[in-house]
Amino acid sequence: MIGIFDFVGAVGLFGLRVIGSVFRIPFELEQIWRHIGEAGVRSLALVLSAGLALGVVMTLHTRGALVMFGATAMIPKLQSLGFFVEIGPLVAALLVAGRVGAGNGAVLADMRATEQIDAIEALSMDSFKFLVVPRVVACVIALPLLTVFMDFCGILGGYLSEYTLSHISLHLYLTRAFQGMQWSNFVPPTLKALVFGFIIGTISCFFGYTTNEGAEGVGRAATSSVVVSSLLIILADVILVKIIFLTFPGSAT
Amino acid sequence: MRNHNVTIGIFIVSGLALFTLVLFTIGNEHKAFSPHVDLHTEFANISGLTKGSDVQVAGFDAGEIADIEVPKSPSGRFRLVLRIDQRLNPLVRTDSLVTVDSEGIVGDKFVQIHGGSANAREAAASTTLPSKEPLSLADLLESSNDLINGANGTMKGVQGKLDGTLDAATKTINNANDLIVGIKQGKGTVGMLLRDQTTATEIQQAVANGEQATVSVKQASASLKHASGQADALVSDFASRGLGGKVDQTLLSARGAAGNLDSISGQLHQTMTEALGEDGRGVDAGGNIQQSLSNLTETTGNMAADTEALKHEFFFKGFFKHRGYYSLADLDPTTYRNDRVFTNPDNGRAWLEAARLFEQTSNGQERLTTEGKLQIEEAIAELGDGALNGPLVIEGYSSQSDSGTQLAASHSRALLVLHYIHARYQVDLRNIGAVALRNTPPPGVHKETWDGVCIMALKASS
Amino acid sequence: MSSENSVTLHGVSKSFGEKQVLDNVSFSVGRGEAICVLGRSGTGKSVTLKLILALLKPDAGNIRIGDDEITQLEGQELSRVRRRMGFLFQSGALFDSLSLHDNLALPLRRLTKKSKDEIEEIIDRVLGQVELAGDKHKMPRELSGGMQKRAGLARALVFEPETLLVDEPSSGLDRITASEIDDLLLDQKVRRGSAMIIVTHDLHGARRVGDRFAVLDKGRLAGLGRPQDLEKHENETVRRLVGG
Repeated sequence: MIGIFDFVGAVGLFGLRVIGSVFRIPFELEQIWRHIGEAGVRSLALVLSAGLALGVVMTLHTRGALVMFGATAMIPKLQSLGFFVEIGPLVAALLVAGRVGAGNGAVLADMRATEQIDAIEALSMDSFKFLVVPRVVACVIALPLLTVFMDFCGILGGYLSEYTLSHISLHLYLTRAFQGMQWSNFVPPTLKALVFGFIIGTISCFFGYTTNEGAEGVGRAATSSVVVSSLLIILADVILVKIIFLTFPGSAT
Repeated sequence: MRNHNVTIGIFIVSGLALFTLVLFTIGNEHKAFSPHVDLHTEFANISGLTKGSDVQVAGFDAGEIADIEVPKSPSGRFRLVLRIDQRLNPLVRTDSLVTVDSEGIVGDKFVQIHGGSANAREAAASTTLPSKEPLSLADLLESSNDLINGANGTMKGVQGKLDGTLDAATKTINNANDLIVGIKQGKGTVGMLLRDQTTATEIQQAVANGEQATVSVKQASASLKHASGQADALVSDFASRGLGGKVDQTLLSARGAAGNLDSISGQLHQTMTEALGEDGRGVDAGGNIQQSLSNLTETTGNMAADTEALKHEFFFKGFFKHRGYYSLADLDPTTYRNDRVFTNPDNGRAWLEAARLFEQTSNGQERLTTEGKLQIEEAIAELGDGALNGPLVIEGYSSQSDSGTQLAASHSRALLVLHYIHARYQVDLRNIGAVALRNTPPPGVHKETWDGVCIMALKASS
Repeated sequence: MSSENSVTLHGVSKSFGEKQVLDNVSFSVGRGEAICVLGRSGTGKSVTLKLILALLKPDAGNIRIGDDEITQLEGQELSRVRRRMGFLFQSGALFDSLSLHDNLALPLRRLTKKSKDEIEEIIDRVLGQVELAGDKHKMPRELSGGMQKRAGLARALVFEPETLLVDEPSSGLDRITASEIDDLLLDQKVRRGSAMIIVTHDLHGARRVGDRFAVLDKGRLAGLGRPQDLEKHENETVRRLVGG
């Protein structure tokens, strides 16, 4: 039990240290840029294909139920709302947690094991600022973008699936998809991805940066990164959704 | 490295572009970037509307609820700020009514601003428009449920009673039929038959049955009337809310049916009274019974049709129409001559001359001759196989000199033939009718006058 | 430089949890002097180096780099003092995501205001010193163990440090390769006058490069002095480690 509190405290301090370091020079823009490439661009294919497939599958599932109620006109809206509000941010975050989280955990743990982190310090560089902060910032920046791509692909997949079944026109589909849509259905859930990105970056870097168990610690850091960040994303989602509902009562549809 | 940078750049730019695109699409949906006008309205109950709920003007997506002010006391009302597209402002007048509608049963609630009257002023910004409190779906369902339950109960009652009545009436007719057949087959004179104790009892029994039937029908019609009264109240309620058009129509039909039953029972009653009144005067009684009988058969035919309708469907809309004519019993000569259904040259017609059909009896009445019966059978055969299934109308003609006799004779001729056909072929009484046309056939049949009968088979209605 | 000693440890203690790794250790190294730290495995030799570089904080005691008390420094000040030292890690600790050239260029680019040309010049010079001039565009995984160690040395030299901290220069290397590294270290000491603290198991190399030996036993400084003196030391462990 104490172990849990110890862990929570350590992660919390680590997160605060990240936030505190972000706004100090040097800003490590080059590293941030590089890691946006790592976390964002290299996750794009994964996110796009997953989004497309999920879009198709979700329409196949919801369609039956909605047809039963004669509410086929609701299919596009359900699709867009589903992806904008929840599926987009959450699934993108879980995918990135798997790919980038594991990567960060393993890479940093390996750098620790092979004394590369010490070497950076020995060269008078701030290893935390150099290794951790750009990774977290890159996750925070990349995840909302990936979420938008996920949303886009989800709706595209939904459209393709619906088109094969009912030959609906793209224009009508989009009109219906956005009918009655509020900014609060899109902006806060997408910004939610910022928090998810922060969670993924912080947790994975925490495990990677603080592990000091040699080669065997590398695998453990990667596994722990994925498990803990995925879990925290879902827990945070519960709280964030509630906060969004409280802040934008209109979005609780 | 350079390539890598370009890829990252594309990633970020396209992500932001998509984000902005969605933002603007949603914004357009809410007309956030087009000129708009704020109007106000008030509701005591906003039935689940929220900030951002859609606003339509005359069914056109016009904007959204920009704000909802909560009342400070229970007597106050919610004040809604409706933000609508300026282009639609001309449709909104100071007398435009605002209601809360919902998109189908499971859909969202939205505000509907109805188009105002043309001569009212255009609603300026911040005008408070009149509103009509929403009727909740639950209320509506409850009241229509009550209505249906009530109507259902009534229908069951009516059905039960009508079934009984019909049985009684059929029995009566059968009794009377037997009598008539007896008379026709010449078992003694009519006077003798009527003086005969057994026959008299039979007739009385028949009459009594008929009376009982009348009473039952009256009871049935009374409860139907009650039902229709109840329905009336609901109908007016519905009408005032502008809802339930279909239910409305159905109830009107129900009312029509009830009225029909009413008149039927009246007819039946009259028939019975007549039959009873003429009891003493032997000679006329035969004709009277015959007359009554035909009335009764017509009536029963109608009743059977009505009952079928009531039995099978609650929403009787168009029941009679489907049959292509209204009720053959209601045929009056004037309507008949002018109705295209009957004057259609495609209808099959068989013209039979009076001289060969009828012979005079000793009391001055006419009856069918044996040759006449053969002629009728031939005519029916000529009209084709379908003639007995489709509607048949027997037109009676008489070239007597005075118009009163003309009418009476053409009427009785038509009926004589009708009864023969009915008795000979067991034709469904709903499908056969008689009409007295004096001496003039309807236009379009290329005959100036006629003396006798014309059997007309209606062409299947389209 | 007012102090004649480059690095001075005084009463330094360090423990990880229950385990006391260093207990009241004191020694100093002057300019142009190489001190070899000997000891059995797990006696805190590497920890001593990390304490000197302030990668770890001591539980007690002072560590002075020249006139600066490094245990008290943070941020820019710490960075300034660290830059006066070079650290050769056991496995080289090259950044695997960067080429050899970028491994050397990174600290120069980030911590100095030198122009691109100057940086290239420095890189070429230090790579020339460790005889890797032709391999500067290779990635670390393409280099052999000895090359990696020489590359690590080159990186430690880019700031022209007064003090060189060397962790196990010969580990994992054959005798010939190891002696090449020793030659490079000797060259540094003699030509540049660097102070050196070398943690090693390799007695042969230590005797070539080291002026004095510091022998650690169970966290304590068991012996300190010239190798020939330590051969006659009263402590048996010291005698055996020094190869007496």
